[in-house]
Amino acid sequence: MNDYKYIWFFGLISTALIIFLPIALLVTGEELPSTNPWDNVAPTPVHTNHSALIEGEFTTGSEVTTACLECHETAAQQVMDTVHFTWESEPIQLPGREELVTVGKKNQINNFCIGIQGNWPSCTRCHAGYGWEDANYDFNQEANVDCLVCHADANIYAKGLAGEPAEGVDLLAAAQSVGSPTRQNCGSCHFNGGGGNAVKHGDLDESLYFPDEAVDVHMGRYDFECVDCHQTTDHQISGHMISVSPLDNDTLACTNCHSTDLHADERITSHVETVACQTCHIPEGATRNATKTQWDWSTAGQDLPEDPHVYLKIKGSFVYEDNILPTYAWFNGNADRYIVGDIIDPTQPTELTQPLGDITDPTAQIWPFKVHETLQPYDAVYNYLLIPRTAGEGGFWTEFDWDQAFRLAEEDTGLAYSGKYDFAPTTMHWTLTHLVQPKENALQCNDCHGENGRMDWEALGYYGDPLYWGGREQQLGLTTETAVDNQ
Amino acid sequence: MSKTTRILLAGTLLILLAIGVQLTTAQEDTETAVSPTGSPIHPTFPLLDADGNNVLDSGAPISTMQTCGACHDADFIASHSFHADAGLSQFGQTTDVHSWDNSSGPFGRWNPLLYRYLSPEGDSHVDLTTAEWIQWFVRHPGGGPATTSRDGQPLTALAADAANVETSIYDPATGSLAAWDWQESGTVEMNCFLCHMDNPNNEARIAALQAGDFAGANTATLVGTGLVETAVSGTYQYNPAAFDENGHLLPQYVTVQDPTTTNCGQCHGVTHTDTTTPLTLDSYTLGDYSTMTTGQVMSGQKISESGLNITDKANLNRSWDVHMERVFDCTNCHYALNNPIYFQEAAGPQPDHLTFDPRRLDLGDYIYRPLHEFAKGQSVQSLQAPGLDNTLRRCESCHSLDTTHNWLPYKERHTDALACETCHVPELYAPAVQYVDWTVLNSDSTPVVAYRGVEGNEFGADTLLMGYEPVLLPRENSDGQTPLAPFNLVTAWYWVYGDSERPIPLRDLKAAWLDGDGYAEEVLAVFDEDGNGRLSTAELNLDSDSKVAFLTQRLQALGLDNPRIASEIQPYSINHNVAFGDYATRDCATCHGPESRVTQGLTLADRTPGGVVPELTAVSGLLWTGEVQANDNGTLNFQPQAEAAGLYVLGHNAVGLIDLFGALAFVGVLLGIFVHGGLRWWFARQQIAHHPAALQEIYMYDVYERLWHWLQTAAILLLLFTGLVIHKPATFGIFSFSYVVQVHNVLAAILVINAVLSLFYHLASGEIKQFLPRPRGFFDQAIEQSLYYVRGIFRQEPHPFAKTREHKLNPLQQMTYFAILNLLLPLQIITGALMWGVQRWPETAVRLGGLPFLAPFHTLIAWLFAAFIVMHVYLTTTGHTPLAGIRAMMLGWDEVEVGAGQASVEAGD
Repeated sequence: MNDYKYIWFFGLISTALIIFLPIALLVTGEELPSTNPWDNVAPTPVHTNHSALIEGEFTTGSEVTTACLECHETAAQQVMDTVHFTWESEPIQLPGREELVTVGKKNQINNFCIGIQGNWPSCTRCHAGYGWEDANYDFNQEANVDCLVCHADANIYAKGLAGEPAEGVDLLAAAQSVGSPTRQNCGSCHFNGGGGNAVKHGDLDESLYFPDEAVDVHMGRYDFECVDCHQTTDHQISGHMISVSPLDNDTLACTNCHSTDLHADERITSHVETVACQTCHIPEGATRNATKTQWDWSTAGQDLPEDPHVYLKIKGSFVYEDNILPTYAWFNGNADRYIVGDIIDPTQPTELTQPLGDITDPTAQIWPFKVHETLQPYDAVYNYLLIPRTAGEGGFWTEFDWDQAFRLAEEDTGLAYSGKYDFAPTTMHWTLTHLVQPKENALQCNDCHGENGRMDWEALGYYGDPLYWGGREQQLGLTTETAVDNQ
Repeated sequence: MSKTTRILLAGTLLILLAIGVQLTTAQEDTETAVSPTGSPIHPTFPLLDADGNNVLDSGAPISTMQTCGACHDADFIASHSFHADAGLSQFGQTTDVHSWDNSSGPFGRWNPLLYRYLSPEGDSHVDLTTAEWIQWFVRHPGGGPATTSRDGQPLTALAADAANVETSIYDPATGSLAAWDWQESGTVEMNCFLCHMDNPNNEARIAALQAGDFAGANTATLVGTGLVETAVSGTYQYNPAAFDENGHLLPQYVTVQDPTTTNCGQCHGVTHTDTTTPLTLDSYTLGDYSTMTTGQVMSGQKISESGLNITDKANLNRSWDVHMERVFDCTNCHYALNNPIYFQEAAGPQPDHLTFDPRRLDLGDYIYRPLHEFAKGQSVQSLQAPGLDNTLRRCESCHSLDTTHNWLPYKERHTDALACETCHVPELYAPAVQYVDWTVLNSDSTPVVAYRGVEGNEFGADTLLMGYEPVLLPRENSDGQTPLAPFNLVTAWYWVYGDSERPIPLRDLKAAWLDGDGYAEEVLAVFDEDGNGRLSTAELNLDSDSKVAFLTQRLQALGLDNPRIASEIQPYSINHNVAFGDYATRDCATCHGPESRVTQGLTLADRTPGGVVPELTAVSGLLWTGEVQANDNGTLNFQPQAEAAGLYVLGHNAVGLIDLFGALAFVGVLLGIFVHGGLRWWFARQQIAHHPAALQEIYMYDVYERLWHWLQTAAILLLLFTGLVIHKPATFGIFSFSYVVQVHNVLAAILVINAVLSLFYHLASGEIKQFLPRPRGFFDQAIEQSLYYVRGIFRQEPHPFAKTREHKLNPLQQMTYFAILNLLLPLQIITGALMWGVQRWPETAVRLGGLPFLAPFHTLIAWLFAAFIVMHVYLTTTGHTPLAGIRAMMLGWDEVEVGAGQASVEAGD
């Protein structure tokens, strides 16, 4: 042992260990967890460049689809299973109804342009398929699937009436340009919901094509594409909007990537059971482009001065607002839905998309909504909302004759028209869930609490401002554990 | 209520809400609503005049004492309120600050910012009489000196008398005092409306006060509320539609409430509680006092969302005040002291066995007699209500540091040395007064005022605000602690006169400077350097003896005896505008570096009127640990000194002498070994026939001996290095200060444990005796060894003492190690442990001189250690080959010269 030649080496190792082990164990660094959201997001797969793979001449969109299907054999079947193609949900059970109903653009109405029935060619410009121009559309034709609207370069490809490729589109170039869907692909329809930029949603508009970080932190600061959050499996894109998909049947949430206890401030953490992330991080809707908040169909058809944001003869009068203060309501992810033919009370606003949940519902959180208020036609005898034929032959937009529009629509919708119509108030709730702001711009305590707060606490079911009266746990004796157990 | 009912109810409410939103958004746009919502709880009541008659009948001004006193004990309220008293009850007492002060409250204490002086009885040059004080000091809410004379009589009982400062007023027309008839003017009762209504008309109140309509000032506060329609001076028309048939107010007009932040802000500072409109600010009035003097703005709005023009505003995402952001009102902290919600029993009379006494004042009793003395801290600017000092909850009364400050190394030390505000109010963003120069006068009779936190000196709507960092000075807390806390320093220059010194009245100052609407010809002749007929701020500066002499002469001509310039610095505590942790100071380098925040100075002024450098007058509440420095360019600075505050900031402070001495010792040793080594090398080359002595391998060092030696080597070297980084963090900027401090502590623990274990080894094995110099013949042997190093070594002579396993150390080594192990190492361990222990046992450290002594001492020993190591390493090269000694310490086997010295050599086993 005394002679061991390399004893110094072991000495060196032990000395180093004795010195550095305690340092490594006892000294705490100042490492903070990464704030880069990309750490938690599955990267978008690199898309194969198709420019050399696709040859030939295409005269119709369906020919392109057929070409795609040579390799992507199941793609069309997958797409035909999605609401992007069917525009209609599976039969679902809505609260208070015995029979199952299906909900979608195909068969239900909203309080914007009301319904697509009778107006197919215009509305189906945004259908992920080709040729839907009447009630007899064949949803089982693989060749009817439009691959290009989501996958082609949106600068090369565009859709026209009935969803057919717009005139003059170079289909070969479009087919060769395919890739992962970009903001432009999604935005070409979703940013223009309601017939134009920013009209419908209040949180989806063309400001998201090239946003700076003050528009949306994910897309502006971190350069997200839509599909980075709306992760997709077999063409089923996650995410849903209550107007066409009232039940919470998918899993897209902020907390897929973000931890619920990421706020350093305990005071904020104590809110996350009750308040949706969106409520604080989306202080306002329509921050860059004004959105439509009111629509009065009853003034349509008059020869008044026209301004697309104030009055159009074909549509009536509007109110557009920007930087809208959201309406707050409890929301557990599900909504009730006005189903065509439901009886209304025309003296009261009829809510077409009622968010479900209340203060006693432990799965409900306070959410921000854009509320769109409309005076829209209803049958004054049968007391249900009517769908006029607008765009089609003899429709209101050409003849300005409501009575005729409703009569013609009878054959499109199967909904009987008594011959008497009037206008009734309706409202629709639209979740505000884009235009996410970083913490610097998020709401702070005094935005909601105190004298100048924006919340109507009593309307939400509180005794009063929970800052003084206690939160719902205190008020209802709810705790998260027992609440979940009781479900 | 059943669950379904609740759901139905909630649903209905939701729908109603939706409709409500629709209706309100649709219609209400520009309409400025005068639709008050009444208090949900306060009963209706009649408005009564001073005689107790309904004002609807009498048309007389409202008496708050009668109206509110019908249910509340208004006399009790008014007589137990510093807000009303304003220093009247202390009138006649002087203060430490000015010999001419007559009270510590605003009724009697002179304030150089506001300048006007409430003259005592018999002053030859009267400035403010009681009546004019009421007209001028509009922050006063009435009661106290506005109703009661200095000797406690009702003012209305005093006969009008031009010879008495309580019953007269200066008449500009005659230039002398005229009688003031309190019967005619009435007095200002304590104004309940100003603080307890949600929309009081402060402007109308101030206008009534300034017009001398004292009786009507409280009534004027209601102009515009719908109760009082118009107010021509002295006459008020009540709106009959606001009253019911019994003469009581209709419920919607009873807007009585707890005072809000906005109520307080009318007199105390800039407040902004509206979350939607941006805060704007372009000037200060008297009612913005706290903002004007400190830059504090009470608003929950993010600074980035305010309408102010602030540098780098986009990144100031913090709110002006985090408590306001979190929906505080002023009254949450500054509560009525008998408010049963907030009531705190004084620690003194509380029995030890009780931690909480649930007995409370009955709410009814409280509402009958709500004490209008409010909890307050002990801010230095406010000598007000000294009896109420420290009735406020402190930061730590509500906040626990246990969960939030664990990231902070030496948490206890930091919180002992620093007030919470020091880190949590790092910067103020609204302008604050820097200096006020009353030795000169603008043509509108205002002084030259400079602001800090702005580009340039001036403050207006288009000023670029830069923010300013307050100066840190020890604050005397009620518990005896003196942590550093932030202050603004406001310097003032002004003229005083007379044997019993007092400020020159404003009207005399005006007479000296002005003539009608403009400057006097003679003044322009002296001051108007560019001859444009106006005096700029730069020209308005007493920067030469001749200008001072000129003014002195003019003031003397007005009958003022011995006019001279005085100066003072007023400190203003900063306790508001607290930032959330994310925005607080948390970077070690802010303080632990050459440019430490702790000693960051504050510019006092860019002028020194009359060459009078302000003195640091003693103020209770803070310690002036610093000095005023007059710079060559005419500017004045205040420079705080950490040492004077009893602080030694690691990485910032260093005792130059010790570093010099340590460095000299280190370099001296280095030089010494270069010379010595050089000589050895030179002699070795001269020695042509060098016959190396015969060598013999001895197992000199045991494994453990080698391990503890090298462990200690590594620990000491790393300690020296990390210590150096802590001592001069700026030089080693790549290392994280707090990380290095922690590493240093861990290394120190390793060193101490290693030292203790090896001490045990040496004691248990008896090897300790090798380190003990043997007294007998020690000096001879030491000299012999020394002679070897200065002579024999060059001649390649053998070592005088043989190195054996039993006697590894020669006498010199024994002496050196004896000193190092018994003196240096223990001292270094003790000083180091105490420095580490300032957080654990601060008293012990303080008893031994505290950081200002321990830290330099620790540094000194570190230097000595460094010098020793150099010497030690060099001496290991004095073996038969330079690396022999080191090799032996690594491998254990040493090659020892056969026949070296006289001592016998025994082979190791």
